[in-house]
Amino acid sequence: MFEEFKKLIKSETYFFLITPAYMWQIMFLVLPIVFVVVLSLSAGQGAHLVQSFTLQNFYEVFQLSQIRIVVRSIVLASTTAIASLFIAYPVAYFLALHIKRFKFFFLFLLSIPFLINVLVQVYAWFFILEKNGVINHVLMMLGLVEKPLNFLNSYFAIYLVMFHVYLPFMIMPIYSSLEKIDTRLIEASYDLGASFRTTFWNIILPLSMPGVQAGFFLVYVVSFGEYVIPSLLGGLKHFFVGTLISEYFFIGNDWHLGAAFICLSCGILFISAILYYVFFNKITVRSKVIR
Amino acid sequence: MQLRLKNFLLPCYVVLFCIFLYLPIIILTIYSFNEGGFPAQWKGLSLCWYYDLFASIEIWRVFLNSVFVAFMAAFLSVTFGLMLVYGARKFTTNIASFFYSNILVPDIVIAVGTLSLFSYFMVPLGLITLVIAHTLLGLGFTIPILKARLDELDPRLVEASLDLGASAWYTFYHIVLPFLYPAILVSTLLVIIVSFDDFVISFFCAGSSAQTLSLYVFTMIRSGISPTVNALSAIMLLVSSIFILVISLLQVRLAAHDESK
Repeated sequence: MFEEFKKLIKSETYFFLITPAYMWQIMFLVLPIVFVVVLSLSAGQGAHLVQSFTLQNFYEVFQLSQIRIVVRSIVLASTTAIASLFIAYPVAYFLALHIKRFKFFFLFLLSIPFLINVLVQVYAWFFILEKNGVINHVLMMLGLVEKPLNFLNSYFAIYLVMFHVYLPFMIMPIYSSLEKIDTRLIEASYDLGASFRTTFWNIILPLSMPGVQAGFFLVYVVSFGEYVIPSLLGGLKHFFVGTLISEYFFIGNDWHLGAAFICLSCGILFISAILYYVFFNKITVRSKVIR
Repeated sequence: MQLRLKNFLLPCYVVLFCIFLYLPIIILTIYSFNEGGFPAQWKGLSLCWYYDLFASIEIWRVFLNSVFVAFMAAFLSVTFGLMLVYGARKFTTNIASFFYSNILVPDIVIAVGTLSLFSYFMVPLGLITLVIAHTLLGLGFTIPILKARLDELDPRLVEASLDLGASAWYTFYHIVLPFLYPAILVSTLLVIIVSFDDFVISFFCAGSSAQTLSLYVFTMIRSGISPTVNALSAIMLLVSSIFILVISLLQVRLAAHDESK
């Protein structure tokens, strides 16, 4: 019995090596997502399924107030992604093409905000934005304001911190695609008399486009479902997709509605991501045509 | 003149950028030594919040939970990742792409999905479910790193070893494993950091009994702030920075090794 088993393992080594990771992926990623879809299409209490198929949840979720929250999240994600793209690109450019020494040190400096705990980052902003925090202190000292301003629990705080947290997510992919550019191409362009502007638009930008796209979509998708920042800095007034989902699951305790809302918002997210993708492709094609 | 301005502008911009990136963290670290505890006023240098932190029994329990989850998740995801990458090394399709989805799917979708699946099958929530979810998250980081490294290994080395009569296991242990070693270390450290940092998935999958550091910090921020959080955050910052330093050093060594080849 044992011998046979051993033989089996030997003859199917590849299969046995590959199985655990794939099984894990299917059981704990694919299956849960399928299950969320099933939940959204059924009725019942908690995770239990009572009624088999119904579109009732979608009718209830597909309302103006919910759609407004999805749109709000789309705006937040788009703003974060676009703004951090424009801010991060020059930094990545500088690191990849201008710095020769101490590159390791700069990369380390950028990796710290990339990998430290989001909660610690958000908490650190409390010290700055609080009623008697650093900003108000400075403003009062300069005599610009009479009494402390309230920065917390506002869209301003949410946007600012989102932007701060997701900037490093944008730099890394852009940096690695800029790093791969053969510098001889750039030198050749200069040698042949091209200006910096021409070189940038026709050589550097098109070649770094894969990194730009990767960074953009990473930030866009991940910040769409953001939960921590809106829930800590937005108070209970400003709902976004992530906070509303947790509301459905923990406070409303209506998992089927929550699942329907997830399906709805992910559908909208998917469509908007495709639109962005088409847009990016158009830009890339155009910059090639100019050349 | 214009050229000089240009050369000057970009570095200035980068410096400003770094200040923006680091300002909150630095302020947090400074205030963790403030005797007054809360932002309001600076009342003098003190280590009192650190003493409070280390004296608390609760925090040690939470910390051990986090360590358990992080190390289990790192062990499982690196082991599974190694098996997958080695087993699939002759495949022509890019097996890593399937696992990118772990990073790309919004956390909250994974969290809600696993939570509902667990509760449908009546799996009690706790440390085990956390390990499961974090292992899933970790696979998304380990597999691309390990695969990239294994792709650099000359397949003729493996074939030569097998031709000369070494068993598959011997070849793996003496040829493949030493070659992958730095990548294994990097991905292990990365999964540990990611597991420590993760909040959303832990928030949904931990249930009420199991608390991790992230959850603890969250509840402390939510429910009126005790200044021990300042000390805790500063320590978490320091520890992650050390881990990241090790990771970057390893990556530099990897790059240098590749160039010398």
